[in-house]
Amino acid sequence: MRRISLHWRVAIILGFGSLLVTAVLATATWNLASGYMIRQREGSAVRQAEVNVRLVEKSLDSTGLDELLTGLTTGPDSSILVLRPGNLLTAGRPVRVDDLPSRLVDLGREGVAARQRTVVKDLPVIAVTMPVANSVYVELFPLEQLDRAFHYISSLLIAGTVASALLGAVLGSWASRRALRPLSELNSAATRIAGGDLQARLPEQGDPHLATLAATFNSTAEALEQRVRRDARFASDVSHELRSPLTTMVNAGEVLRRRLSLLPGPAGRALELLTSEVDRFSRMVVDLLEISRDDQTDDRTREEVDLGALVRNVVATRPQLSEVPIEVSEPPVVVVADRRRLDRVLTNLLDNAERHAGGPVRLAVLRGDGVARLEVDDAGPGVPAELRERIFERFARGTRGGESGSGLGLALVSEHVKRHGGCVWVQDRDPGGARFVVELPCAG
Amino acid sequence: MQVRILLVEDDERIRQALGLALGDEGFDVEDASSGEQALRRLDNEAFDVVLLDLGLPGVDGLEVCRTLRSRGDLPIIVVTARADAQDVIAGLEAGADDYVTKPLMASVLAARIRALLRRRGPGRAGDTLRIGDIEIRTQEGLVHRAGAEVHLTRTEFRLLVELAGAAGRIVSREQLLQRVWGYDYFGDTRLLDVHIRRLRRKIEPNPDDPAVVLTVRGAGYRIHT
Repeated sequence: MRRISLHWRVAIILGFGSLLVTAVLATATWNLASGYMIRQREGSAVRQAEVNVRLVEKSLDSTGLDELLTGLTTGPDSSILVLRPGNLLTAGRPVRVDDLPSRLVDLGREGVAARQRTVVKDLPVIAVTMPVANSVYVELFPLEQLDRAFHYISSLLIAGTVASALLGAVLGSWASRRALRPLSELNSAATRIAGGDLQARLPEQGDPHLATLAATFNSTAEALEQRVRRDARFASDVSHELRSPLTTMVNAGEVLRRRLSLLPGPAGRALELLTSEVDRFSRMVVDLLEISRDDQTDDRTREEVDLGALVRNVVATRPQLSEVPIEVSEPPVVVVADRRRLDRVLTNLLDNAERHAGGPVRLAVLRGDGVARLEVDDAGPGVPAELRERIFERFARGTRGGESGSGLGLALVSEHVKRHGGCVWVQDRDPGGARFVVELPCAG
Repeated sequence: MQVRILLVEDDERIRQALGLALGDEGFDVEDASSGEQALRRLDNEAFDVVLLDLGLPGVDGLEVCRTLRSRGDLPIIVVTARADAQDVIAGLEAGADDYVTKPLMASVLAARIRALLRRRGPGRAGDTLRIGDIEIRTQEGLVHRAGAEVHLTRTEFRLLVELAGAAGRIVSREQLLQRVWGYDYFGDTRLLDVHIRRLRRKIEPNPDDPAVVLTVRGAGYRIHT
């Protein structure tokens, strides 16, 4: 099972905690308030009943008792019963003796004043009983109003409890999000570094705990960046230092190659080997320099480039490609790019096709969804699935036979394309061969 | 007549190897190991092309380049160790006609030298081209602006002739690189950009706000007619 995220856990705990606290408070409030109100109501009921009883006592034997009782009732829901030996007088809401709690009536009959909260004929009441001479006086005071008040208070308390729980959850969510924000910044910075952006840093933090973390992170990133730069500079310096001896070697080789016919037999073959390896070495150094320059410098020469025109121009410099069909979509596909690097991308892809697959058989410049797409097809043996990533790595050689390249051609393609915010990959081509696809963001 | 080249390079081995290989290409190669020596030889002897390493000890290559340019339009090809933008652009700004980066091959260099020497020849048979108050006599290789002669290097001159010959139509960067420098590999537009800048400085009334050589974004250049 997946663990709930810290952020949600904090929200839930805070919500639950605040629910608990407010529930306890609400229950206590409810008990105190309702108890107090009922005691008040009972007190006033008893006081009123006492007054009424004194009035009833005075006119117990007179004939006006009925009217008196009617006059004493306080509303349509209140009832007064006078249980006299032999007859029963009632006023207000009609109630039978059977409807009353028998224990209460018995107490009245025994001459004990009593009161009880009860429900009579579906109406909550306070029943008060008092002895009057030889009779029993019973008055029922309706509790409807009090009930409404209780209802109101309890609704209020429940709503308050729920609201406070929700507020707690929201507060917890907000607070944890705030508290975790530096963590997500850290995460995004680390992700950027992992993705190759060595300049990613954390912003200054005000909180002392976070400040230490940020400082440590930033100094680590700084050290990493310097290290990577140093390595890249070393590669660049080495290649650079190789330029001068290589110039000598390449040109001395040219002089010797012209005189190859003067060196028959093994010496001639050895010379051929030597000069062709010197040429390869030279290409390697040039590519290495280009790739290490890529690592170190930024582009400043971006311009709008018509990809179709660029492909036609590069192909025009290779007479052997004059028969290769070029598919260019209309209107012209324009990208914002470094023209020299794009030239290099296409040149290297064409070199690759010629070196490993007998040359390209189709070129295409297409427009996709916001991307410009360049396709170089060949009819060679194709690239096995497990090598499709590796061939774009530096010096990933021996993968497609033939050893004449620098081992950096496709790596340079990949670097240049990445630098332009694009991507390159190889896929199978129908009916056979490989298709190298370069996708670049479209201009405008 | 054999083309005479002065090879200015401080690395003795490169000097020897390049000298041999360029000799094989049919050039008469003389060499100098420092800027001072190069300037001394150029004072006394006639050369057709100077091959100039930018990383010289003492008087550096850029200085030699500027000095030569102030004296005339002797074709200069600079040899840079780094293909970094600043280095190449500095060399071109100092007046070089073309550049090559190490490790360079004599065969490539020979093609550049030949293309460079071709630039002097007549572009279009004997006609005189006019753009506003600018008069180009292609036969003599002379340019006058408002009656006064403007000194252009042969590369600048050829560039102007190619643009003027198009009579206001757009000439693409690729076409210019191919026709002026003989490049069969299109790509380095810095070469063209710097030369356009140099040309503008010489023929535009206000080089910062060009009115004669106009840039057409994403396409190339054209002459305002």
